[in-house]
Amino acid sequence: MKIKDIMSTNVVSISPTTSTKEAAHIMHDLHIGVLPVIDNNEIVGMITDRDICCKVIAIGRGAGWTKVEEVMTKDVTTCFDDQDITAASNLMMSNHVRRLAVTDHNNTMVGLLSVDDLARNSHDLASCVLEAATQQH
Amino acid sequence: MRVQEIMSTKVETIKPTSSLRATARTLSNLNVGALPVVDDGKLVGIITDRDLSVFAIAIGRDPQSTEVQKVMSKEVYTCNENQDIDEAAQIMKLHNIRRLAVLDEADSISGIISIDDIAHVSHELAGTILEHSQAIH
Repeated sequence: MKIKDIMSTNVVSISPTTSTKEAAHIMHDLHIGVLPVIDNNEIVGMITDRDICCKVIAIGRGAGWTKVEEVMTKDVTTCFDDQDITAASNLMMSNHVRRLAVTDHNNTMVGLLSVDDLARNSHDLASCVLEAATQQH
Repeated sequence: MRVQEIMSTKVETIKPTSSLRATARTLSNLNVGALPVVDDGKLVGIITDRDLSVFAIAIGRDPQSTEVQKVMSKEVYTCNENQDIDEAAQIMKLHNIRRLAVLDEADSISGIISIDDIAHVSHELAGTILEHSQAIH
């Protein structure tokens, strides 16, 4: 099965200069934990609820004046939409992540793939990703 | 298999009066996503990285002056350390959560069991929990 068959395509993204406060509002309203950061149609980062916790709140920065680009993860793990879902599981395992940005071959982001999406198709592939996690609980 | 065989037992707790900022620092330093909130030896809530970033910002709370008890989940889902992991998985699935506080005979917190712990021993159970998850990504 290909990644494009199971990924989420209705993905809301955010620009790097948006405030983390606004990012938090979007995550809250949409019940999501991650936003891809897009600049000039290219994916330049990912920001998660945990980034806002550990890199904004924990060190006493203001969410109103801290921009997304200051705390986002710039090293985004991506995959192509026509890759097999087994390759996606392997990428998540080796990078210790639970979500991948999915791009086409023109490097345009076309979706997101989460470990939950994997689980709906293969309990084994998804559980291997969980087993590789580095977080304690 | 029983919950106590696979749960994390080295669980740090925090007080309900801790500030959001101090709690965020603890979550970050310990590399965990959730902390049980304990008052006088009694489990009174649970706080996650998401609660104290996304939720706190969305409702306009100041991280420095807001106490954890204002934003924690007071409805804590628990299981007993002697319960079977199948039952723990059922509770997670039912409530769409990925961790449970584990109580001992005296109703004191003795650990945390996460979906990752379950994945180490059963891909099937962990996959089923994820599959029912409601988050979009």
